[in-house]
Amino acid sequence: MQTISTVKKAILTAVCIALCVVLPQAFHAIPNAGSIYLPMHIPVLLCGLICGWPFGLLCGLAGPLLSSLFTGMPPAAYLPPMAVECAAYGCVSGILTRFVRTKNTYADLYICLIGAMLSGRVIAGLARALIFAGGSYSMAAWATGYFVTGLPGIVIQLVLLPVIVSALMRAGLIPARYPEVRSDG
Amino acid sequence: MNRLPAGLYQPGDSVVHRLDAAAKLLCLLLLLAAVVNTAAPAGYGVWVLLLALLIRLARIPPRTALASAAGLGWFFLLILLMNLCFYAPEQAWVSVWIFRPSSAGLLQGLRVAARVFLLLVMSNVLMVSTPPLALTGAFERLLSPLRFIGVPTELAAMILSVAIQFIPTLLEETDGIRKAQTARGARFDSPNLWEKGKAVLPLLAPVFVAAFQRADELSLAMEARGYRADIRRGRKKYPPFRACDWLALSLCAAAAVIFIIIR
Repeated sequence: MQTISTVKKAILTAVCIALCVVLPQAFHAIPNAGSIYLPMHIPVLLCGLICGWPFGLLCGLAGPLLSSLFTGMPPAAYLPPMAVECAAYGCVSGILTRFVRTKNTYADLYICLIGAMLSGRVIAGLARALIFAGGSYSMAAWATGYFVTGLPGIVIQLVLLPVIVSALMRAGLIPARYPEVRSDG
Repeated sequence: MNRLPAGLYQPGDSVVHRLDAAAKLLCLLLLLAAVVNTAAPAGYGVWVLLLALLIRLARIPPRTALASAAGLGWFFLLILLMNLCFYAPEQAWVSVWIFRPSSAGLLQGLRVAARVFLLLVMSNVLMVSTPPLALTGAFERLLSPLRFIGVPTELAAMILSVAIQFIPTLLEETDGIRKAQTARGARFDSPNLWEKGKAVLPLLAPVFVAAFQRADELSLAMEARGYRADIRRGRKKYPPFRACDWLALSLCAAAAVIFIIIR
């Protein structure tokens, strides 16, 4: 099976971190777009899916940090919970990609994506309840914040990420997960 | 999309520009701790004066220093309204459906908005007065103790440095794709939010493909020139902090301690 070199993984991670700053800018004309369309989650999940968990984790931590420093969003006060959430997405999507193998690229992608999106939300909710907003964070606030407000973003991620991965595979920019075996003659 | 993000480096020769990047990063962390621990309204008045002094020392135009906060009017309004309507329902002036505005909520909203504003402007002063490569070096220096537990801090610093250099390139690329989509009828400037959202979505796949193409070219070029990520390099020697760096750190530490004590 083809693999990606560590140097290429590092540069792809750098590009995904840069996209964490650039993509929210594309949505900036829409009020409150960050929490509705969740543009920063897309490169983080993609990084975890393509480069593996250590790079996904770094992307999840560094993406919100650089975005906060360059554009002010998320503001420093909201940065720690957001960094934990994104780090969980990058890390879990990378771990799942390593272990989930159904022999169908799209099935793998959806299992990893949904698994990462759910566990990332659970980890972020636990972090808020236990650390960042200890004692004043309720189940209703968690469900509203992570599932209701961000529903358009969740739909966008589920539709768009497999399309992007497929486009990248077709362009030869990342190796196919299950390369076709050609029989000569 | 047609402008660069607020925090891009602007060369200068001020006292703040000349400070060591790692010292500036530590100062920012201390100041963030001090701002978060400020409770009294008078404290915020003091912070505004200190920030004005910092901007003057950095010789940054006030417009540039405030740029990152200026575009977030909606966000500040939202923070203010949420706190006003929901923060202290038991002290409400009036109750309309789920909304219970109170003076305690208004005060808390102003406090949170002031904190966010101060944090934004402080981060912006750091970014505008520090070259990106110096900032990456500072990250590497501050993260270097993690090498002892096996974290590849050099690789992480290289990734951050490449990421920072990619931001303007990708912004330009995205702007080009946005203009191409506009020419094909996408309505980015529509007053209708649904139309705007629909216009942004087709932008994403081409942006990713273009970005990954650049990453592919860069990684090929690096590998062709012999760059290896798994080689252990010699330990980097960092220059020691100078007197002015220590002075800045001491002042910020004193501010953090004072604001935490009088909280």
